[in-house]
Amino acid sequence: MSLSLVTLFLLSIMVFLGGQVLPGNVGRAILGPFADQRAVDALNHTLGVDRPLLTQYATWIWKFVRGDMGTSYIFRSPVAPFVIDALGNSMKLAAVAFVLVVPIGILGGVVAALNLNRPLDRIISLGGLSVTVLPEFVTGIILILIFGVWLRWLPISAAWPKDAGFFTQLYYLILPSLPLFLVLFGYIARMARSGMIEALDSDYTRTAVLKGLPWRTVIWRHVLRNALLPTITVIATQTGYLIGGLVVIETLFRYQGIGSLIFTAARGKDFPMLESGILTIGIVYAVATLIADFLYSVLNPRIRLGSDQ
Amino acid sequence: MSKNYRILDLIRRNRSPLENHLIDGLVDGRVSRRDFIRHGSLLGLSLPLLGGITTAAGLSGMPSLARAQNAPGATIRVGSSVPAATIDPVTIADAGGLVVMQQVAEFLCVDGPDLVLKPALAESWKPNDKGTVWTFKLRKGVKFHSGGEMKADDVVASIDRLADPANSSNALSVFTGILQKGATKKVDDYTVEFHLDAANGNFPYMVSSDNYNAVIIPASYKGDYEKSFDGTGPFKIEKYTPKVGASFVRNEDYWGEKALPERTEFTFFADMQPQILALQGGQIDIINQMPVLAGVALLNDPSFEIISLKSSAHQQLHMHCDEGPTKDARVRRAIALCLDREKLAAGLMKGRSALGNDSPFAAVYPSTDTTIPQRKQDIAQAKQLMEAAGVGQGFKMTLTTERYLEIPEYAQLIQNWVKEIGIELELNILDQGAYYGDAVFGKSNWLDSAMGITDYGHRGVPNVYLAAPLKSDGTWNAAHFKNKDYDALATSYIAALDLEAQKADAGKIQKLLLEETPVIFGYFYDYLTATAKGVTGVQPTAMSQLFLEKASKA
Repeated sequence: MSLSLVTLFLLSIMVFLGGQVLPGNVGRAILGPFADQRAVDALNHTLGVDRPLLTQYATWIWKFVRGDMGTSYIFRSPVAPFVIDALGNSMKLAAVAFVLVVPIGILGGVVAALNLNRPLDRIISLGGLSVTVLPEFVTGIILILIFGVWLRWLPISAAWPKDAGFFTQLYYLILPSLPLFLVLFGYIARMARSGMIEALDSDYTRTAVLKGLPWRTVIWRHVLRNALLPTITVIATQTGYLIGGLVVIETLFRYQGIGSLIFTAARGKDFPMLESGILTIGIVYAVATLIADFLYSVLNPRIRLGSDQ
Repeated sequence: MSKNYRILDLIRRNRSPLENHLIDGLVDGRVSRRDFIRHGSLLGLSLPLLGGITTAAGLSGMPSLARAQNAPGATIRVGSSVPAATIDPVTIADAGGLVVMQQVAEFLCVDGPDLVLKPALAESWKPNDKGTVWTFKLRKGVKFHSGGEMKADDVVASIDRLADPANSSNALSVFTGILQKGATKKVDDYTVEFHLDAANGNFPYMVSSDNYNAVIIPASYKGDYEKSFDGTGPFKIEKYTPKVGASFVRNEDYWGEKALPERTEFTFFADMQPQILALQGGQIDIINQMPVLAGVALLNDPSFEIISLKSSAHQQLHMHCDEGPTKDARVRRAIALCLDREKLAAGLMKGRSALGNDSPFAAVYPSTDTTIPQRKQDIAQAKQLMEAAGVGQGFKMTLTTERYLEIPEYAQLIQNWVKEIGIELELNILDQGAYYGDAVFGKSNWLDSAMGITDYGHRGVPNVYLAAPLKSDGTWNAAHFKNKDYDALATSYIAALDLEAQKADAGKIQKLLLEETPVIFGYFYDYLTATAKGVTGVQPTAMSQLFLEKASKA
């Protein structure tokens, strides 16, 4: 926990310093290259970005630790609603993608491992790998053309109408979650497959089979439980990507996620928005890792018992 | 048609010497009908009067703007780019923001797609003899959405706010050297005078839609425009969500003809591709602005209409005139002679551009001297110039530019063309932020690079292009071009009130710039708007504004 806090603190410093290295300044980014220098100076002064760097950083971090994310330089309004909305949207999209890809990916891996080197295994492994290497903006455009433009079954934009209910939101999220499914399916299926193969080949599985347990019980209680361990790690490491790394998907599907929020903030040198967005993702990532560690210990008695000692 | 001198004499009686000189130019055939209408509108002559004069001069009257009987009540859905910052008339600087603001707020006059100024909140305007004071008569009975009547105090406050260096005004670069804070004066409730720093023959453009910050909002405005979106326009704000979209409803109290659409909806897109897909998928009716390369898929698709406006937007290829091999004007001319402009216009720009002749005088401007010969590709002459300049064996240099629109492809074409005269260009293509940097000399790749390409948006008059990038003390003079003759000519052009005097100066400037070639103007690209079939009455401007009051859907 304390390690996570140190990490987040270091992250905040890195983001701040990184933002200073980028060329240009906030006033210039807002007013554009052709604005008069006096106007740019006046705007920088109004925004307080002409103060010493340390003062700017200290002011912001002091507010942040007290729960105030500050005011956006670009939008001139509080950062928190932007970040909270965007995080909520990103989590909804990530959740839909997870719900689709995790069971199907694991199932694919399990089926492939149980049919090792047979045609089904080849189809799942090669097919999964092929779609994983396709960038999501390519699969995204193809899916939009098929389902949005030609068939017109699904909305092209993921931004649902205001006051939309759960199922309407879900309907709008299907299309943008499909490219994510394609990116992650091959990855998760391969991890599940190799975990299964290893578990199937292990001594405890042989023992379980030899002691006469039914095949279904062997798979459920012994093989799958062990095979899933590396898969959980993979899923946890993908959380950061799914929450904050979807700039391309968010742009393509016009979705207000936190990835594009950060991207816009970085381009506009909107430091309070950038810091708050990145730290929020950092916090989500830290929490996801914590949950993964917990699940890992639940599934793996060796860790649980080891820590007890 | 024969000339009706009786009517012409009647009209002449009440006109100023300047206006009569323009009328003489039309009657004697020195000024074309098109140029007469454009320049007449600039001098504040009303469009019906201009129509009357052209008829009396034996020419056909005003082009009859066929007003289609469009059906009212539609909801028009527009795709546009995401406003890059908070929408504030003072600071706004991007296309996504200004099109939203322009739906609710209006200008004193509007620079139409034909570059003819049309009255809006001002009914008429005229200069004094020297062009140093311009008087604008305001329309009566115009109401802000918040209820009050628009009067001279609001105009003075709106323009003064923009001319004040303490206000972070994006329009300061337009007004510097022209109009200072305090120089906009109320004469009475419906008359305003602008007292200029120096004579300016094109001043009405500076307070027209051409200066997109110059909307008239209440004098009481204190900031936070997104809370009120107050204005006098044909639409009123319904809802604005930053980064997402905006919707507007018809203003039933509008001073002019009521808008046809009942509602308009603007959806913001961070990229072009999703906008095109949304138009193809029927989720929007209009793409406000579509760059030619990004929109290739729609250009020849019969399911969509492309509104193509001739504009003065262009890419400036600057070359340092004070150092390196391009210090010699012969080398700069040699490079300019390598460009195959016909191919550029037809290939890279898909026929949606006009040829550039290495000066800001685009064909769309009435003052452009069209008798100046067009520069064409001539490799043999380019090689001779290189030899004469002592660099016949060629040299290496870097072309620095921004990753924006078709510029990277343009840079590659130039790289290939100049190879023929032995110049090896290394391309350094940067993100826009890195290219412009702090946008001041010494801290900007744009202003400091020995050779670079920079995008310049459309302007209804060439004043800005003539001053900042080319004058010796110009703040955007990336070519480091210093030429006293040029400075004098540019100053003279800007001050000239008379079209023929402007044309004379323009011709001299065009010749001088062809000789010196500090900047290559290869082409002027068209402004494209895409609409779904059946959507009519849409009127974009090359400044990214979109007038929807006459729009309807089949």
